[in-house]
Amino acid sequence: MFSLVPLVVLFPLAGFAANAFFGRQLGAARAGLLAVLAAGAAFLVAVVQLAALAGNGFAPVTVPVAEWLRVGDFHVAWAFQVDTLSVTMMLVVAGVGTLIHIYALGYMREDVQHNGDPGRYPRFFVYLNLFLASMLVLVGADNFLMLFVGWEGVGLCSYLLIGFWFEKGAAGLGNARAAMKAFVVNRIGDFGLLLAMFLIYWTFGTLTFSELFERLKTVRLDATGQLIVTAITLLLLLGATGKSAQLPLYVWLPDAMAGPTPVSALIHAATMVTAGIYMITRNHVLFALAPQSMEVVAWIGAATALFAGTIAVAQTDIKRVLAYSTISQLGFMIAAVGLGAYVAGMFHLVTHAFFKALLFLSAGSVIQAVERGGAQGGAHAGQSAEAHHDPQDMRFMGGLWGKLPITQWVFLIGALALAGLPPLAGFFSKDEILLDAFEHNPAIFWVLVAAAFLTAFYMGRQLLLVFFGQPRSTAAAHATESPAVVTTPLIILALLSFFGGLLNLPKFGLYGYAGSLLLKEFLSFSVEAEALPFNAFVAGLSTVLALAALGLAYVLYGRAQATAQDRDPLAALLGPVFGWLRDKWYVDELYGFLVVTPFNTLSQLAARALDLGGVDMTFNNLGELARAVGAGLARFQLGYARRYALVMFLGAVAVLAYFLIAR
Amino acid sequence: MTIEPFAPVHLLAVLPEILLVVLAGVLITADLALPAARKRELGLYAAVGFGLVLGVTLLVTLPTVSGGLIFGGMLRHDLIAFAFRVLFLFAGVVTALIAVDSPTIGKEGEFFLVLTAAVLGMNLMAAAADLIMLYVAIEMTSIGLYALAGFLRENDKSAESGLKYFLFGAFTSSLMLYGFSLLYGFTGQTNLYNLAAALTGLPLEASLLALLLVLVGFGFKVSMVPFHFWAPDVYEGAPTPVTAFLSVASKAAGFAVLIRFLLAAFPGIESIWTTLIAVIAALTMTIGNVIALTQKNIKRLLAYSSIAQAGYMLMGLAALSANGVSAILYYLGMYTLTNLVAFGVIVLVGRVTGSDEIADYAGLSRRSPGLALALLVAFLSLGGIPPLAGFFGKFYLFTSVMQSGLVWLAIVGLVNAIISLYYYLIVLKVVYLGTPKDEAAVYPVPRPYQLALWACALGVIFVGAVIGPWVNIAAAAAGGLF
Amino acid sequence: MIPTSYYLALSAVLFAIGVTGVLTRRNAIIVFMSVELMLNSANLTFVAFARQFMDLSGQVFVFFVMVVAAAEVAVGLALIVAIFRSKQSISLDELNQLKG
Repeated sequence: MFSLVPLVVLFPLAGFAANAFFGRQLGAARAGLLAVLAAGAAFLVAVVQLAALAGNGFAPVTVPVAEWLRVGDFHVAWAFQVDTLSVTMMLVVAGVGTLIHIYALGYMREDVQHNGDPGRYPRFFVYLNLFLASMLVLVGADNFLMLFVGWEGVGLCSYLLIGFWFEKGAAGLGNARAAMKAFVVNRIGDFGLLLAMFLIYWTFGTLTFSELFERLKTVRLDATGQLIVTAITLLLLLGATGKSAQLPLYVWLPDAMAGPTPVSALIHAATMVTAGIYMITRNHVLFALAPQSMEVVAWIGAATALFAGTIAVAQTDIKRVLAYSTISQLGFMIAAVGLGAYVAGMFHLVTHAFFKALLFLSAGSVIQAVERGGAQGGAHAGQSAEAHHDPQDMRFMGGLWGKLPITQWVFLIGALALAGLPPLAGFFSKDEILLDAFEHNPAIFWVLVAAAFLTAFYMGRQLLLVFFGQPRSTAAAHATESPAVVTTPLIILALLSFFGGLLNLPKFGLYGYAGSLLLKEFLSFSVEAEALPFNAFVAGLSTVLALAALGLAYVLYGRAQATAQDRDPLAALLGPVFGWLRDKWYVDELYGFLVVTPFNTLSQLAARALDLGGVDMTFNNLGELARAVGAGLARFQLGYARRYALVMFLGAVAVLAYFLIAR
Repeated sequence: MTIEPFAPVHLLAVLPEILLVVLAGVLITADLALPAARKRELGLYAAVGFGLVLGVTLLVTLPTVSGGLIFGGMLRHDLIAFAFRVLFLFAGVVTALIAVDSPTIGKEGEFFLVLTAAVLGMNLMAAAADLIMLYVAIEMTSIGLYALAGFLRENDKSAESGLKYFLFGAFTSSLMLYGFSLLYGFTGQTNLYNLAAALTGLPLEASLLALLLVLVGFGFKVSMVPFHFWAPDVYEGAPTPVTAFLSVASKAAGFAVLIRFLLAAFPGIESIWTTLIAVIAALTMTIGNVIALTQKNIKRLLAYSSIAQAGYMLMGLAALSANGVSAILYYLGMYTLTNLVAFGVIVLVGRVTGSDEIADYAGLSRRSPGLALALLVAFLSLGGIPPLAGFFGKFYLFTSVMQSGLVWLAIVGLVNAIISLYYYLIVLKVVYLGTPKDEAAVYPVPRPYQLALWACALGVIFVGAVIGPWVNIAAAAAGGLF
Repeated sequence: MIPTSYYLALSAVLFAIGVTGVLTRRNAIIVFMSVELMLNSANLTFVAFARQFMDLSGQVFVFFVMVVAAAEVAVGLALIVAIFRSKQSISLDELNQLKG
């Protein structure tokens, strides 16, 4: 059964190829169905792997597929590592992925109509399937190089999908710019990952995980060795900050919201961004040897969590709030792995995948509902007096409760799960992280607590602005619910968000019971982690703060604004600070000034003066020289036989001379 | 090396040559017997005849390869002779197929007869182990080729090319003969394999003088600088199927004798002539490539290109190793296939447009995608683009050169390969991106033609993709020389 | 007995005359004659050495060379005649259509 694991990549790959070559012939409906089937098949294979693992006592297994590179001592193969960690990831990626594929069937049908290019529908599923295949390669890899292939693959698909509507966006370029930004910023992270790989190979002589960890077990590090390992782990962290959107490389994620909502849900919430956390967890043996790096990891995670949270409270775009929320939650996960709490980090990864995907998808449902309302409302009232507004702007929503029966409830469940209210999944996973922080690093604990407070606050704010109060536009007033193909995955995700905590319930003091610490048990075959006893203080504190934050949100936004033009109540409270928060602390501008502009200037210089002027000129001149020489030599060949014979004779004389000299 | 006394199995060793004589007889009779309307078949007989002889060679003579001197020391029946025989016969088949529907030469029985004689001469050249045999075989080939080059007597260019070829050929081969006479005089031997031993006791100047004269003769056949001046004129003027045959078989034959002669007769003074050959190789490559940059006539372009290719192959000789010779063999095999494809296309296009100027090939891809594709494969292979065979040919040549320590030569070769890419790609650019002057022109490709082109083009791709067996054969053949 | 070196000197002189003829003359037939002269000088060398070594190979070689020379004459003169028919001249300097 283990030998079936390559299918987990091959099914989505086959879906990609079929849709890529025959998408147009198949037509929209069949193309979408094919993609969903491919994703579903991948999920089934992952389930089979789970069963196989269970039958094998959860011991890790390597499944080789093919030889890849063999140059001297350097040997890398295409092989899958099937252990509890990778199967967890596979299940999450394929499972949530399949649900999002189903959602996208309905969502994209409306989206391509709204954007005026129905023929582009199959292309979406081509990219989506390719993404799934790449992500599964990433999580299933048994060596760094294959992981890197998957890493790059998901980066590529992220680019393609963010820029799916490449001709739209601000000034006709906005989406393309966002895609480019994502790709370039990710590249910086990838550079870190590559350097780490080089260092690993150079120091330890292998890129295969199992071999590396074997060697690490018996290694004894002197001062330089320690330095190298620290360098390696910091470079791995750089790669993780790029892919998982942490400080300082998070700037691409909010802009990535330019892509269609299923993309935001799948790639920028549930799967791709978790690659960094997965990578660090996979390399926990390496990180264990570099405690200073782990400290850095934890602090970056915590700082990002807080930082992103502060920005989220001031955003007006429904997807941007969720984007910053994602960055913040990823910060939680990174902090967890930095503290050595791998199980907590993975647990939060899983639950976050559930409720964040849910939130994004429901946000998508809300957005399309408002768009439908706008189309309808405009039709009703003839020409609407109000200006055409962005359907994603929360200031123009409101009063949607009751109009979107399914979406409203699932959104609520997702929001509360994210806020961390018991007994929803988010509570248990976030609580574990807080618990670990509390035990190991109180400073980080308080930072994370503050971040958790903000999380609950901005989710409450979002709920109130979107669903409650009076509708602040005709579009909102006429919003209608989405079709079943869109809402069904939402319901499934909501159930998962609700009951997901069961995966890893903590032990209450002496009262352990069946199913507790399930995930920890499961993962323990891949990653060691300690199980901390349940701490009522931490749990209580987090719950109380969550409720307090929700209450504060109600106070400020409960009696919501009557119109979109009203000032945000938080602005009144915070004054100028609100402006900074809303403008993302001007980080993008800072980067622009420090990095982008100088780089562009340098590129222009290099392109014009150095390349065109210098290099091109040189080669053009060399070419001209060759041609001139040719023309010159051709003048010997004028057709006169005697001339030829003479030159031949002189040549023979020259050879004779050489002979006489050389003997 | 001992001379084996005559045994009947030796007849099997020369069975291909005997059959070629029979083929010549058949062609003469058919030429006399066939009515004018059916004269076209002569070419087909010739092609089939060559094909049969090729089959016989592969099936019958291969097993009898012994590496011994037979027929009183005249021939050496070894793998390298065998390999070259296959090459020549294959070139003969394809040339006959290309010439079949030619309006000017396709119906002439003498054309195919002389072709047969030339192939016969080349076979003997490859196997010759004695000065007498060598001279007779060279002359047999050369005289045949002079006639073929000047076959179209009324055509000014063809007659001129024939005469030029003849004059230079006669001049250099008489120089070579004088060299042979000196060799005979100094050593009292005519057998190549006895020469080396006999030369060692003599003063160096003797060997050098003989070497010089011999080199002039062989250099002419191989078109090495400074004996290359005939090549562009003859290639341009001769009927195109003849050019194809010349560029491929005559050059290969020249290399066959050059390799065998230098390695067998002058091993003692290697150090002197390897440097000389290396320098000549560099010059040949460079001059060939650089002048090719200025050409407007595609046959002339290919002539200079052939000169350059000869330069590359001389590199392999300068390497003076089994690897070097094996690289030359592989390269010759690749070069045969590639040039035949290229010239095949040129013959056809020339027939339809009546011109050999590169500019008239504009837009060929639109008028005949198949021909354009064949030209693409051929030129890319000549330019050395992987995964076509030309790349591996150059690769092996460069490797053997570097293994022998002549790194400078490899660098020159590399630079030359880059320069050559320009003129190959220019032609392809014209073919694919140019606008055709006459959109409606139709390029009919006769059946035998298609067969020839397909076989060769596929060969180019295949020999490049699956290089193992060919390299092994070449290496085995080369090993027999050392 | 005449020393072989005399014969060799003679053949060398003949050879040189032949080479000079090829290089300097314009008339195709004269050039061809010079080539024949070179061939004959080689023949002389062969015979001289054959006599010195008392070995027949040289003389056999000469026979072959003579046959080859005859064949060459046939073809060569045919080509010269063909040129003459079209250009009414056999000056080598007028053969310059093929150039570059």
